[in-house]
Amino acid sequence: MTLLNGLLPPYIESIAITVGIYIIMALGLNLITGVTGQLSLGHAAYMSIGAYASAVVSLQLGMPFIFALLAGGIAAGFFGLIIGYPTLRLTGDYLAIATLGFGEIVKSLLFNMPIVGGAMGLAGIPFKSTLTVTLIVVIIVIWMMVRVERSRFGRALLAIREDDIAAECYGINTSLYKVKMFVLGTFIAGIGGALWAHKIMVLQPRDFGFMKSIEILNMVVLGGLGSIPGTVLGAIVLTSIPEVLRFSSDYRMLLYGALLVIMMRFRPNGLLGGVDVTKLVKKSIKSITGSNFADKEKKKVKGGN
Amino acid sequence: MALLELNKLTIQFGGLIAVNKVDLKVEKGQISALIGPNGAGKSTAFNLATGIYSPTSGKVLYKGQDISGKPPYYINGLGIARTFQNIRLFKELTVLDNVKIGCHSRSKAGIFGAITRLSAIKNEEKQIEEKAFQALKLMGLDKKYDEFADNLSYGEQRCLEIARAMASEPELLLLDEPAAGMNLQEKIVLIEKINKIREMGLTIFLVEHDMKFVMGLSDRVAVLDYGVKIADGTPEEVQVNADVIAAYLGKEVV
Repeated sequence: MTLLNGLLPPYIESIAITVGIYIIMALGLNLITGVTGQLSLGHAAYMSIGAYASAVVSLQLGMPFIFALLAGGIAAGFFGLIIGYPTLRLTGDYLAIATLGFGEIVKSLLFNMPIVGGAMGLAGIPFKSTLTVTLIVVIIVIWMMVRVERSRFGRALLAIREDDIAAECYGINTSLYKVKMFVLGTFIAGIGGALWAHKIMVLQPRDFGFMKSIEILNMVVLGGLGSIPGTVLGAIVLTSIPEVLRFSSDYRMLLYGALLVIMMRFRPNGLLGGVDVTKLVKKSIKSITGSNFADKEKKKVKGGN
Repeated sequence: MALLELNKLTIQFGGLIAVNKVDLKVEKGQISALIGPNGAGKSTAFNLATGIYSPTSGKVLYKGQDISGKPPYYINGLGIARTFQNIRLFKELTVLDNVKIGCHSRSKAGIFGAITRLSAIKNEEKQIEEKAFQALKLMGLDKKYDEFADNLSYGEQRCLEIARAMASEPELLLLDEPAAGMNLQEKIVLIEKINKIREMGLTIFLVEHDMKFVMGLSDRVAVLDYGVKIADGTPEEVQVNADVIAAYLGKEVV
């Protein structure tokens, strides 16, 4: 089980774990913003709830890591339920502002809660998020997301994104589905937060501010809203670019910003937005093995006329 | 008992009474039509019947049950499906997925079903796919299942709306201007399809502008003008009704 740990140089391994955690965070937000089309600007808040809840379970109760992980997810999902129920009735900009406000409230509360260390932070969390553990969780989350997307539930979410009135008229209880989806998305954010807490070992409220939410949103948008492979790619690219650009020292964040602008200019729908990856893979396999790919194309053209 | 009954149905938006004490019956197995000039309140009446609006007063009865003010998803579950005048397809999804979403009311897998994919869930998914293809075949769209809805022609999009509605296995089908923007050829095909749907035992209630289309197809026609019902009867009766002619062509001033 611990095969992977220590295989890579420590610096690379640490980045790989961070990438994994961001993939999890971004996939949770992709469900909310990409698949269902509900803009949330407070995703980091659920990450912090998961992180602190799991840290408390680890430190105060001394329970095994798996319980801390689940506690993080459940705590975040619970707040997702409480916040999602009233706010998901809002749409567009209004929802964005409400989620933003919640994010700031959570941060301020954590600042002023002596139980979790307040502004001093919460230290002494054991290191548990090894590369193996993170990788396993990443795979489980991707697997869950793929299954959810290709199901009756996932189709209902897509329908809500495309046209919520039509969705409602075809039997989808849109407010209920939005809340369910939000609980699942925030649960995943909580899991990501729990992994984060047990990697970074010291939690400070200011790590979970608005900028963190935007960073995660960036990954989803850059990868391609609603695309699972795109979101994974977005998380990998945006987490590793700042590391790759370290050689440019002072200009690092400038280059990072420029790259973002350039990518949005040439791929406004995201790196893999509007690309059906499974179809693409099937197509390329077919064209390599030389089957009737050309014939199919012909038929398509015919049908189009 | 009528399948759908509007009972003194009224809705007021500020100072405007869009639908004013309208009484209407849609009999089982028939094709009923609601016609009227622009802004007469036809689509509003549809929105009231499908739960998008709640009436200010009056009732909507389906099989004798009061459904006024009930949410749209609940009404769809009872067996009423509709299409939209200004096409409301799920544009960035495939034709097949659009119709599969139509099956929502008649299936039940949730989040846990999605993740666990037990054999019952797999069976349900297979049934949804079969039903979706049936609905597509009915409307002649089965060969285009893989296309994005947005890439279909206008007439095809209207047909896809009907296919999506049919996938929810309704007893009552509400069509909001199904022939709008179609050419003559497409209209002839559409009339065939609607007649076929009626033969399957469905009741159809449609709103339409095109008089010829309505008169050839409907068993009963009601006419709405400024939110008030001004005539109700067979197509022949309505066509010679003086009030209807006045509403459509204007009154003679002597």
